[in-house]
Amino acid sequence: MSSLLLMQAVASGIVTGCVYALVALSLVIIYKSTDVVNFAGGELVMLGAYVGLLALTFFTLPYVTMIGLSVVIVFAVGALFERVALNTITGRRYAAHADLVPLVVATVGLGYLLKGIVRVVPYTEEVRRLPPLIAGPPLFFGDVILQRQDLAIVAVTIVVMLALTLFFTFTRAGKALRATSQNPRAAALIGIPVRRMRMAAWGLSSAIAALAGILLAPKLLMTPDMGTVVMLAFAAAIIGGFTSLPGCVIGGIVLGVVQNLVGVLLSPQAIAVTPFFVIMVVLLLRPQGLLGEALAPKKV
Amino acid sequence: MYGPLARRSLILVAAILAAGFVLPLCVPVYFLYLANVLMMYAVLAIGLDLLLGWSGQFAFAHIAFFGIGIYGTALFDLRLGLPFVIGMPLAAALAGLIGWIIAIPSTRLRTVYLALATYAFAECAQWAFRTFDRITGGPDGLRIRPANVLGYATGTDPAALPVVAAILCLMLLATLYLMRSRLGRHFAAIRDSEHVAAACGIAVKRTKIAGFVLSAIYAGVAGGMYTLYESFVNPDVLGVAQLVLVLTMVVVGGPGSILGVLLGVVLIGLLPEVLRAAPRGLLVWQEFFYGAILVLAVMFMPRGLWGVIEERLRARPTASRRAPSSTSSASLRSEATQP
Repeated sequence: MSSLLLMQAVASGIVTGCVYALVALSLVIIYKSTDVVNFAGGELVMLGAYVGLLALTFFTLPYVTMIGLSVVIVFAVGALFERVALNTITGRRYAAHADLVPLVVATVGLGYLLKGIVRVVPYTEEVRRLPPLIAGPPLFFGDVILQRQDLAIVAVTIVVMLALTLFFTFTRAGKALRATSQNPRAAALIGIPVRRMRMAAWGLSSAIAALAGILLAPKLLMTPDMGTVVMLAFAAAIIGGFTSLPGCVIGGIVLGVVQNLVGVLLSPQAIAVTPFFVIMVVLLLRPQGLLGEALAPKKV
Repeated sequence: MYGPLARRSLILVAAILAAGFVLPLCVPVYFLYLANVLMMYAVLAIGLDLLLGWSGQFAFAHIAFFGIGIYGTALFDLRLGLPFVIGMPLAAALAGLIGWIIAIPSTRLRTVYLALATYAFAECAQWAFRTFDRITGGPDGLRIRPANVLGYATGTDPAALPVVAAILCLMLLATLYLMRSRLGRHFAAIRDSEHVAAACGIAVKRTKIAGFVLSAIYAGVAGGMYTLYESFVNPDVLGVAQLVLVLTMVVVGGPGSILGVLLGVVLIGLLPEVLRAAPRGLLVWQEFFYGAILVLAVMFMPRGLWGVIEERLRARPTASRRAPSSTSSASLRSEATQP
C-alpha cells in the first residue's frame, strides 16, 4: 500500500515536474540569449491560459485554433515588450552600472502590468477551468493512475526540449542567439542582428510560456495569480543550471518528485516551501546546478 | 567623515520631526495613519536603497527582515515583556544577525542569482511566519500590544506619530552620516565598479556583507515602527506585493539618493489614496498602475524622478559655475562605458 502511494507520488511528480520544466525552458531561453531573468515568466503563462480561455468560451473557437491564437498573441506581447521597454533600456548608455538590474526590474513591472490587466477584464472574476487538451478516462499503468492530459504534458515538454536543444546547437539562428548572449559586441561585429535576436528570444520564450499555460490551466484553478508557478520554474531551472535545456527538464522532474515525496513523507504543509528551500540550497552549495556551465566572473 | 552635513538635509530632518509632533494636533486621524505608514515605508525604502542604489546589490530578502522586525518586536513584548526601547533594537539586531548569516554565502552570487537566492529566503521566511503558529500565531496573525516607549503609550495613530517621526529622523541622520563615511564611499565605489574598487584596496566582499547587514537592520527598525501604529500583523503583509511596492518607491524616486527615495515613498505611497478618490473605482487598476509606473520609470528615468529634477536644476543658468565640471564628468562617464 505504501509503495503504491510512493509510486503514484513519483508518477504525478514527474507530470507536474514537466509543467515546471516547460515554464523553466521559457525562462532559460531568455537567460541564455539576453542574460535577463524574466520575473514576468509566470504572468506570460497566465496570459496564455486566459487568452486560450477567452478564445474557447467567448469566441467558441476550436481547440487547435485556440492554441495557435494564444501562442501568437503571447509571442507578440513578449516580443513587443522587449522591443519597446528592454531595448530602450539597453540602448541607453547611462551611468556606470548599465547592468541587469533595470532590465530585471522592468520584467517585475511587466508581471504586475499583465496581472493588473487580466484582473480588470470582467471575465476573470469567477474562477474557471480550461478544458484539457485530451479528455477521456484516466489510464492505468499497473496500479498507477494518470490522466490523458498528463501524458500530453510529458510528451509536449520532451518535444519542446528536444526541438530547442537542436535549435540552439545546430541552426544558424540558434547559434546566433547564443553568440548574442556570450558577447553582444562581438556578435554585432560579425553581422548578427543583435536587437532582432533579443526580440526573437523573448517572443520564442513567451510562446513556450503560453503553451505551458494552456497545458497547465486544466490542472489548476485559473486565477490572475497563477503566475506564482514561476517560482517553481526558477527552482527547476536552478537545479538544472539555468543555462542547460535538458537540465531544466531534469530539474523540473526532480523538483516535482521531491515535492510530492515531501508531501507524502514529511508533511503537506512543507510542500509550499520546498522549491524555495531547494533554490537556496542549490545556489549556496552548487550555484552552477546539475548541468550548467561553471559560473564565470562577469566580463568587464 | 567627509565634511559636515549640508544645511538643507538638517532642515529636512528637523521639518519631519516637527511634523511628527505638530500634525497630531491639527489633522484628522486618517491622515495621521497615512503619515505613519509613509514614515515607516521611508525607513524600509532607504534600507533597500542602501543595497540597491548604494552598494549595487540586487537583493530581495528585505521583506523577510521587515517581518523579523515586526514579529521580533511584538514577540519580545508579548512573551518576554521587554519594553519597546529594548525590544525594537533587539529585533533589529536579530534582523541584522540573520542578514549577516544570509549575506556570507549569498554575496558570492552574481546579480541575478543573488536576487533569486534572497527572494527564496524571503518566501521561506514568510512560510515560517505562517507555519510555526505556536510562536507567531500562524495565518490568523498576531495581535500587537500598544507599545510603551519610556512611559509613553502608543498604539493609536496620533500617539504613535511623534515616536515614528523621531525614529525616522534618527535613521535619516544615521544614513546621511553613513553616506559621508568611509563605508558609504566604499559602497558607491563597489556599485560603480567592483574591479576598480578591489584594485583601490577596498575589501569588496566585506563591504558587501556590511551593506547587506545594514540594510537588514533598517528593515528591522521599520518592522519595529510598524508595531507602534498597527495592532495586528499577519504573514500576508510580508509577501512579494509588499516588496514590489518598496522596490517601486526606490526605483521611481531615485536609487542612490535619500531625497529621491523620500519623494518616491510619498508619491507611490499615496497612489492608492489618489486612485481611491478618483471616480469609477480606479482602485482595481492599482496593480496595473504599479506595473506600468515601474516599467516606464526604468525606461525613461534611469536615476528616478530625483535624477530628472537634478538635471533640470543643473540646466538652469544660475548653476553655470558648476556646469563645466559636471558636463566634463558626464562625458568622461559616457566614454568609460562606451566600447
